[in-house]
Amino acid sequence: MSAITCRDVTRRYEERGKAPVLAVADVSLDVEPGEFVAIEGPSGSGKTTLLGLLAGLEAPDSGTVTVLGHDLARLSRTERARLRQSRVGTVFQTFGLIASLNAAENVGLPLLLAGRPAAEIERRSAEALDEVGLGGRGSARIDELSGGERQRVGVARALAIDPAILLADEPTGSLDEGTGKQVLELLIDAVKRRGTSLVLVTHDPISAARADRRYAMRDGRIVGSTPALPGSPA
Amino acid sequence: MILARHALRLVVREPRRSLAALVGTVIAAAQITSVLLFGSASGATVTRRALADLPVDAQVILSVGANVEATKTIVGGDPAVRNVVPFDLAHFDTAASDRAGTATQTSTGVIVGVDAAYVSATGLFQASSGTIAKGQVAISRDLASNLGVVAGDSITFSLPGGKSVKLKVSGIVSIAGADLVLGPIDAAHRAAGANPPTNVAVMQRADLESLVLSLIPAGVVAADPGTTSPGGAPVPSAGPVTVSAAEVAVRRELHLQLAVAQIPGDPAAAQLWLDTVRRRMEIQGAGTFQVVDDAQAALEPIASDLAWGQILFIFLALPGIILALVLSRLAADATADTTRRHVALLRARGAGPRDLRLVFGGATVLTALVGSAIGALIGALIGLVLFGGLLGGGDAVAAAIRAALIATGLTTILASFAAILPLRGQLREEIAAGRQQIQRARQPLWQRLYLDVVALIGAVAVDLLVGGQIRPVINTEGVTTVSLALTSFVAPLLFWIGGTLLLLRILGRLTPRTGRLAAGLGRLLGPGGQLAGRSIAARSSAASRAIVVLGLAISFATSVLIFNATYLAQQRVDAELTLGADLKAVPNAPTDASAISALAGPGIASVTPFVDRVVYVGPEAQDLLGIDPAGLTSVSPLADSFFQGSTATAAMDALKSRPDAILVSAETAKDYSIVPGDRIRIRVPDAAGVLKTVDFHMAGIALEFPTAPKDAFLVANLAYVAAQTGDSRVSFALARAGTDIGDAARRLAARAGPGWQVSDLSTTTARLANSITSVDLQGVVLIDLAFGVLIAAVGTALFLLAGLAERRRELATLVAVGGEPGQLRASLVGETLIVGVSGLAIGLLTGALVGLAFLQILAGIFDPPANLPVLPIAAIVATAGCVAAALVLAVALADRGISRLDVVGALRER
Repeated sequence: MSAITCRDVTRRYEERGKAPVLAVADVSLDVEPGEFVAIEGPSGSGKTTLLGLLAGLEAPDSGTVTVLGHDLARLSRTERARLRQSRVGTVFQTFGLIASLNAAENVGLPLLLAGRPAAEIERRSAEALDEVGLGGRGSARIDELSGGERQRVGVARALAIDPAILLADEPTGSLDEGTGKQVLELLIDAVKRRGTSLVLVTHDPISAARADRRYAMRDGRIVGSTPALPGSPA
Repeated sequence: MILARHALRLVVREPRRSLAALVGTVIAAAQITSVLLFGSASGATVTRRALADLPVDAQVILSVGANVEATKTIVGGDPAVRNVVPFDLAHFDTAASDRAGTATQTSTGVIVGVDAAYVSATGLFQASSGTIAKGQVAISRDLASNLGVVAGDSITFSLPGGKSVKLKVSGIVSIAGADLVLGPIDAAHRAAGANPPTNVAVMQRADLESLVLSLIPAGVVAADPGTTSPGGAPVPSAGPVTVSAAEVAVRRELHLQLAVAQIPGDPAAAQLWLDTVRRRMEIQGAGTFQVVDDAQAALEPIASDLAWGQILFIFLALPGIILALVLSRLAADATADTTRRHVALLRARGAGPRDLRLVFGGATVLTALVGSAIGALIGALIGLVLFGGLLGGGDAVAAAIRAALIATGLTTILASFAAILPLRGQLREEIAAGRQQIQRARQPLWQRLYLDVVALIGAVAVDLLVGGQIRPVINTEGVTTVSLALTSFVAPLLFWIGGTLLLLRILGRLTPRTGRLAAGLGRLLGPGGQLAGRSIAARSSAASRAIVVLGLAISFATSVLIFNATYLAQQRVDAELTLGADLKAVPNAPTDASAISALAGPGIASVTPFVDRVVYVGPEAQDLLGIDPAGLTSVSPLADSFFQGSTATAAMDALKSRPDAILVSAETAKDYSIVPGDRIRIRVPDAAGVLKTVDFHMAGIALEFPTAPKDAFLVANLAYVAAQTGDSRVSFALARAGTDIGDAARRLAARAGPGWQVSDLSTTTARLANSITSVDLQGVVLIDLAFGVLIAAVGTALFLLAGLAERRRELATLVAVGGEPGQLRASLVGETLIVGVSGLAIGLLTGALVGLAFLQILAGIFDPPANLPVLPIAAIVATAGCVAAALVLAVALADRGISRLDVVGALRER
């Protein structure tokens, strides 16, 4: 069973008084368990929208998205939320941290939402922070951390739930080259160790080059894949 | 021009921002308009009630020799005059009877000549028993009592000029409400508060002409009413009348009833209108008559009372208006993201700080103007629906337009300032952020100057200095008027301001610590609850503002409820004080005390006899109230404030413990330098009307007493007075209703029979029309309450929406990492719980304290003042319930906002 199966997915945005924008058009892709998939493309090509569809944060206008055997269209909002709490980790370009929580509390947030006991939350948050090299910084306020440290907290939060799938939206986009590279290495190492599927949205070819499979997007469509999919442009 | 277009575009193209900014302005303008309309309506109500109570609107006093019919044609032709009825009056020097061989004589009085049409048109001089028969007189109860005569007896009237006339008595007439027409008409006597005569005889006008007026020489003057005793013995001129000039012996008058529908509702406008009518008639009369404007005199005291009333109504609504304007601050928070986006856009297009201020300032003023106009329209509609009937057609529309224009102008200015202040801060922050400046947060100026503490100390100081000194005053006509000084409003206002600022200071320190609440809320609401505690801690200043707005809105509603409940209770006390109890039964002639017990029965909880006699303390005439202390306490409410240096229970116990105990007024105690325990000798009339000296011992000082006049009076044991004078007759009975007062009044009237007049509290309350105490506050209370609840709801909704706007990315993150819809809702509920519970607690507490401070205002309106505020628990709970329901709606609104959140878009925002 594929970790993610995406078939003929289309998503368009309509704004009053404006022509509809086709953000994702007829996209089909598969992500296997433990596979590292990169989605490349210029700004506005539909990469982030596609990631939102895979995470169940948005619903497609047509087509189906199946995650870990669940057809997302058949799940309620609460069921989709629970899937993200326990099986699907997310990392964002802008870190997505909550300023009123400290580093450890941010890491433990999905566990808190999943209703895990406080002791378990504390233990797993500390382990995840150790894993990203921030052991002992759990009580730090978010505004006390550097950009690279903030993204490490973001990665630790995604890893803390021990996810089957990790969706990362340009995780190095807000970091300088050196720091970005470190964070990416950390992320890739962590998912490899766990056998977690990783879908990385990026417009950086060097980052994409590390992937097992690469999809190129333009104007909402997949215009190429490496290795090439049967019957698709190389 | 370009900047103006930008400002207009900002208003039109950002409907969410504009609507948020409009809300507070609309509420404030609506509130101001409806309260102003309530003021106009209350003015019209009091004016109409005061005029409706007048049997005669104006008296046309004819000069000697003036032609009655010609004058009637002149004044009757005036478009403002509805009815003209002739009235003649002759003074007599003494009245005497020789019933059963006992000669009795009274002092001065008047004989009135009226037609049957006069009685039916004015309602005056109605026969209580018998009739006004041809060639005979019907006499007042006092004259009958003083002479001890009944129908069929004869009275000899000594007339000015030396002649006398003997007339047979055909009945008893009521002179209730006739003070104006019987009293002196010259300005000197009126200004001195001269009492109208109580020795009154009434006969047919033609009989007065032929039998009495023909005996009085032209131009002769009447004896001064202050120079003879009721028994006829000369006494030094004393009492309220200090004018020695006597009146002419004969008066020929025409009494006018005006077309009341034409009179403007506003008392000041009504006075002007009446003045115009008077002048118009006098000019036509060319000196043959003079018009005494009774309607204008009746309106005089209420015009100033109502001016204070208007201030009071606005003051009651003021906190609501201020809070509504404060909503602008919360609206600015709620739409900060839009403001930020527009600032960035305009700056990208090259706009400088000045341009930004002009664009946003212009948009603010435009929004304030539109909001004020919409609010004024809504307020006018609310006011017309609630009070249109009281104002009446054309008056209502004119008043609504006037109120709406005032409110629009006022609110535009206030709302512009209220919105520009936070906007300035926001723009400064945006510009500073652009320059990457980091400024250390400073305490606001008021916190550094401790203005909260200063205001609270000021409130206490003002309360201590002037709190006890504000009491209603009695004007020269003997009418109680409102005595409000601006200082009455200072203590509550300072308390409100100081309390608000102190709350902001305390909450500013406490809310950052609400993170500790997280665990507790987590147990109650799950993970969402934990997040709520942390969110409040992170947004402490916004949360403090929301708690303060909510708390003060509830405080505002609570204090208005307490004020209203206390006002209603005092209104009842006022009526009870005037009437004496729930019910009063007055026999047409003094009756034996034994007849009183027959009035008790089903529907009546208890009855007590009451004596009211004119007695003399030295040369001074005073009312002696004879009571049964045990019986009275079960019938009449006696407040501790009625007695100086004592309580109601102690004062009654003092009367019970000693038969000759007497309570005197403060004025008497001071004039005669007497203290409790001193012996007082008082001349009291016996059964034959002869003054007899009776010894009493002073037991205390009474400031007020049921049925007592405002000036000098005495309270003694009824049984002792009866024993000393040999007169066991009582003046009236007071009764307490079993349950329903109206039903009890009907039962009492049926039991007493036609020889008694029964009045009850409801009719007495309606008659207290000459001050704002008669104004029904329900309308303004309803408006203030509704706006209070609305402000609380909108304030909380804006706080939650501001939270959504501020935390779009945080909320999107929560959704992305697995936040369930129920958990996010729980987070909102948790935040609302913290804000709501804190606001409710603060609101109820400060509301009760402000309600207490309102007692000072009520002290200037009611006499006696209220001892304690009345807590309308059910109404307060109902209001808190409405606020809670409104908060649930606010949560639902915010929840809808979260469900519509563009998670992916928000996560990409920087």
